[in-house]
Amino acid sequence: MKFSPALLELIEALRCLPGVGPKSAQRMTLHLLERNREGAEVLARALLQAVEKVDHCQRCRNFTELAVCEICADTRRDHSTICVVETPADVLAVEQSSSYRGLYFVLMGHLSPIDGIGPAEIGLDRFQQRVLEEGINEVILATNPTVEGEATAYYLTDMLLPRGVKVSRIAHGVPLGGELEYVDGNTLAHAFSGRRQVDPGHQ
Amino acid sequence: MRVSLQPAYLLHSRPYRDSSQLLEVFTAEHGCVSLVGRGVHRRARGGSLRANLQPFRPLLVSFSGRSELQSLNAVESAGAGVQLAGERLFSGLYLNELLLRLLHRHDPHPTLFAGYASALDQLAAAAHSEPVLRAFELQLLDELGYGFDPAEDAHSHQSVREDGWYRYSDGLGLVACAPDAGAPGQRFPGSDLLAIARGEFSGAAAGSAKRLLRMVIAGHLGGRPLHTRDLFRQYRQGGTAGGEGES
Repeated sequence: MKFSPALLELIEALRCLPGVGPKSAQRMTLHLLERNREGAEVLARALLQAVEKVDHCQRCRNFTELAVCEICADTRRDHSTICVVETPADVLAVEQSSSYRGLYFVLMGHLSPIDGIGPAEIGLDRFQQRVLEEGINEVILATNPTVEGEATAYYLTDMLLPRGVKVSRIAHGVPLGGELEYVDGNTLAHAFSGRRQVDPGHQ
Repeated sequence: MRVSLQPAYLLHSRPYRDSSQLLEVFTAEHGCVSLVGRGVHRRARGGSLRANLQPFRPLLVSFSGRSELQSLNAVESAGAGVQLAGERLFSGLYLNELLLRLLHRHDPHPTLFAGYASALDQLAAAAHSEPVLRAFELQLLDELGYGFDPAEDAHSHQSVREDGWYRYSDGLGLVACAPDAGAPGQRFPGSDLLAIARGEFSGAAAGSAKRLLRMVIAGHLGGRPLHTRDLFRQYRQGGTAGGEGES
């Protein structure tokens, strides 16, 4: 049996999703057409709307359909602190921890010279301008603890420190609920070098 | 082919599919190989495989497969490795890019592997990174068969004279030239070349060594510049000015 051209096109189109191969794409297509045509219409509209409207926030580069995203526009947040993260998923992760009330800057990647991704590609020039214009007190570097993430953090540190901005780097160490036995040596080494004196009030 | 517990360094990785990665690994006995690490991002017992799979760290990798792209089976850490911080991190990335661009896949270079390991150690410890980079560049060229003797005139086969001037001729080596021939950046004083041959990359010879090796390496890169060099230049322009620069 051969599928009709429209069906084949949909199967092919679905394959652009990460982790979706020909078989899964076929299953999704048949499911949508056979059992959930309403859902398919909703999906199609949502996709179109998102692609048309969603763009990067002018200030933090996160995805938003507004010119300035809700986090940046929120006056209750601390506008003197910026947290630099690599991806929008990182913003979500930090937001869910609800431990941070400042603003963000999303790099949409990290410095990766071997792939040809330099400071301009991740918007560092714009970031520097923003920090200086808005009189930011503290920049928190929350790039990943990988070699590229560290290189990015270092580049940013060197860019901001001479201009009198306070820069801090998130701590790395043993995960909550983790066991020292299973933590790799380098993480443990970081945990030890970044140890903190116990506050007498919180023994 | 199945290879187990091969000493190796990760040169570069990029995400692939949901939780996998494409890895470029420099191994002791199999040279530079491309591996696909499946499920690298998945977590297992407190830390994912990713925690070990970082550049500049001695690893023991096991991989198998028949095609060009082999599968990573296991990774073990083979020592603490070095912590490259700040500018040294850029220098380390530069070494990785050099290897990635110049090495042929599956071409074993055990001596170069040892040289890379010691270059990383020196980068972490030495006061100046420049001489370490120059020595590694020379070793890399030698290993690849692009080597030349900085202390010998390639035309006359006599040793370089202390007071002479020389220029680099592609594929040949250094040849004598008039003290005012060509652009100033293209010719090198004999005294500097003799210093380079002795492995002295500091002092007056540092600039010549940098220019000479950059010129030779550029000839083997096929017209595409090294990205790490660009990054370093931008870093220099944007950040604080310092004494030493990259390659």
